[in-house]
Formats: sequence, structure tokens, C-alpha cells
Amino acid sequence: MKKCTAILLMSIALLSSISANAREPLDDESLPLPPPPVPDPVAFVVPPGVYYVTDTYVADVVATSDATTTYSTTTVHESTGTYARVIDNVSTGASSAFDGMAFNGRGALTDGQALAGTYYENFVLTAGGYVPVSIVFFQDDSETKRRQTGSSSAAATKAAATSGAAVTSAQPVTSAPVTSAQPVTSAQPVTSAQPGSIIAPPPSSKPQAPIEPVGPTLRAGISLAPDGPTLASAEVLRGRLVQFWPRVFVNDVAVPIQSWRLLSAQPDHISANAGSTQPLTAQWIRMPAPGVSWSLRFEIFSLVAPTERLEAQIAITVRSPALVD
Amino acid sequence: MTTLLALPLLLVVLVGVLELGALRAVAYRAAAAADLATLVAVGDQDQIELARSGNLRLAADAADTARDYFARNLSATAPALAASATAIAASADIASFPTAPSFDPRTGVRYERPTVRLIALVPVKTPGFAALLMPAVTTLTIRSTSSPR
Repeated sequence: MKKCTAILLMSIALLSSISANAREPLDDESLPLPPPPVPDPVAFVVPPGVYYVTDTYVADVVATSDATTTYSTTTVHESTGTYARVIDNVSTGASSAFDGMAFNGRGALTDGQALAGTYYENFVLTAGGYVPVSIVFFQDDSETKRRQTGSSSAAATKAAATSGAAVTSAQPVTSAPVTSAQPVTSAQPVTSAQPGSIIAPPPSSKPQAPIEPVGPTLRAGISLAPDGPTLASAEVLRGRLVQFWPRVFVNDVAVPIQSWRLLSAQPDHISANAGSTQPLTAQWIRMPAPGVSWSLRFEIFSLVAPTERLEAQIAITVRSPALVD
Repeated sequence: MTTLLALPLLLVVLVGVLELGALRAVAYRAAAAADLATLVAVGDQDQIELARSGNLRLAADAADTARDYFARNLSATAPALAASATAIAASADIASFPTAPSFDPRTGVRYERPTVRLIALVPVKTPGFAALLMPAVTTLTIRSTSSPR
């Protein structure tokens, strides 16, 4: 019955149709041409083996335990938005086409043989595809000295994987900058250190000249936590209350402050213009005009040097949630 | 006589127009629910990361927050939906990209800021279409993406 009704209605609609008297639009009446199609990012040529980086290089580590010296690499579990792929695995003493191309270099054993490890190539994803930005070498090797003979020869052996080991007294011996990664502080959890290990100088390190004693240096800064690192800039959300802690360091050791005073600011609401141990609480409601940067500038006096006036400044970027087209 | 013959056709057109209008209204309300949910989700900053680096990183539970608010906002449209608001929100594809730049493998979009993206399938009752021998439930695809700018 329903089908019959539908067929009847369709027939009536078709039989009762009349011409629409349509005409071709003139050239100046035609709709604007649609914009050219944007190339699909996923259609870019993806280098083989590339993957999203979730662990970022921090530093090379040389740790000695008894007669064994381990050469490893510390990483921090952090995504920096970059991509990487393995480009070469090299064994002890073997040469590679990428030797000399890594920004952190490739170390050597005490007998001069190049370390074993892996070369990674880093990429950033741009509108034009994956762009290689750097090469990093993750060293992974060890050697054991023969104590009885006192010989300088060393037996190099491939180091076992040490990921997930607890953090011990091992410290990075190099401080090569991390390309395409955010600054990493010592508070970061690191991996691949050996329990009970001590620091051995890198093979390529030069004898250090004696350091002459210098007087205490005072430094002021602004942090966003009572014991947090001092920051040069901060991104804050509109409407959120943010606390700013003026801090003073003597030879990089935090000392109590006596007082602080706000020299310049643009927040819509602030807790006080001056204070002592309490932080400044600020809130931004308005957004800055395009091209305008805001900053908070403090005058700080410390208890260690009450008469010495210090200044600190932090740049503020106010962001507001918005829909993305 | 002509009126008698054209009446069924007019009724069909009227039902179709009314149902399409109702469907559009539900679509707008569902899209608004999704937009508000993602806006709420990106309005929460990871305070630990802010104190550590000064950078804006979304809170770890941003996707859960978006899902929760999507269900709450969608409940106002519940009578027109063919499934519960909670079930629709639970099955929604909500992804949080707490750091930037980042790449969305589903949409192929690169985000320059921390982002929350929501894609949901919203089944809507369409009894008028059912009377016209069309599906009784029409599924709408809702997309929303928010980022702090």
C-alpha cells in the first residue's frame, strides 16, 4: 500500500511538472571559483621508518663501576612534536657515513675506538612535508679494564640495554644543546644510568685550568612556583589566576628575599604592588593587541644583600581558548 | 480536482521541509554542544608544566573533560536523539594534543597550538522521514576543534 502511494505521488509530481524558465547566468553573475584544493598533509612523502618522538635526547653519560666503564645516553620522556628515524647502527670501532654529522658527536673508548650506538635523524613536520633538522648519536657501549696487568688495552663489549634504570649519581658529561627539543632541567626524570656509578671524564675532555675564586654573584628571577625554575617567559590562559614568585640566587643558590615591588605591569587584576614573602597574583582578562607583548618587571631586595637592588622581568603571553576552523 | 490531486504532494513536501528543519536545528545544537565541550577542555592548563617551563600545555584529562561536557551539553537535546547523550559522548572520538606542534593522524591536520579535537556521530530521530519511507534515524557527524590562541 505504501509503495503504491509513493508511486502515485511520484507520478503526480512528474506529470504536473512545468518548465522552470531557467537561463544561463552571465559571466559577472557566476559564483567565484572555489579555492584550489589544499594538498592533504598525509599525502606527503613520509621518510621510511619515521616515527613520532616521545623520548628526547638529553646528554651523553659516561659512568664507571669497578672496572667497567659504560657509555650511555640519557633521555627524557617528552614529546617535542618532532619525528625521527634510525639511519645507522654502528658497532664498536666501525665507521659510519654519518660520523661527524651528529650535533653531539661520537665518542671513543680509551683505546681510541669509536663507540657503538645508533644514529637518528630528526625531522619537523612542515607544510611542505618532513624536513630533516639534525642528526643525533645515541651511544651504547662499555669497556672493562684489566686491573692485574695494568694494561691500557680494553675489551670493548656491547652494553646491555639500560632503559628504565633508576636515576643515580651519574651526571651528563656533555651539555650539547638539544635540537628541536625544549630545554630540559635537572629535575627531569632520566634513564639509563648505572646504580652506584661514578663519573668518568669523557675521552675527549681536556685538562681543566684551575679556577680562580670569585665573589658571590647575585641573580634575580621570576618563577611560577615557590621552588620552581626562573623563567624568561610564560604562557597564561585568560582569566586564570597566576602566581609569580620573585626570587634571588647567590651563586645559583636560592636565598630569601626581603621585599619586592612591581615596576611595570599590565594585568587587569593584581594582588598587590609590593610584598615580601608572598607572591604576586595576577590575572589577565583583556587580550593584548596584535604585536604587543606584555611583561612584569620586579624590583627585588634580598636578605643576603638588603641594599643591593635587583631587577627581574618575565614576558607574558595571554592565550584564550578558541574554535579552530 | 487539481487541488485534490496536489494535496498529497503538498503534504509530502511539507513533511519533508519540517523534518529537514528539525534536523538542522538538532545539528546546530549538537555542534554547539561539541564546541562548548572542546572550549572547556582547552581552558584548563597543566600547572606543573607551566611552573616548569612557562609553556602552555593542556591538562592530562583534557579529553575526559571534553567528553564529560559533551554529554552534559547534549542532554538538552536528548528527546530528539536516537541514543542517550552519555552513549553518544562515550563513543565520540575525542583526542587531546597537549603540546604543539602536533599532527592529527585521523584528520591529517597539523596543530600549531595545544588542541582538543572531537568527532562524534549523533543519531537523530526523524519520524517525518520514516513516514516518507525513508530511514527513521539520521546520523549526523559533528566535528569540533579548539585551541588556545
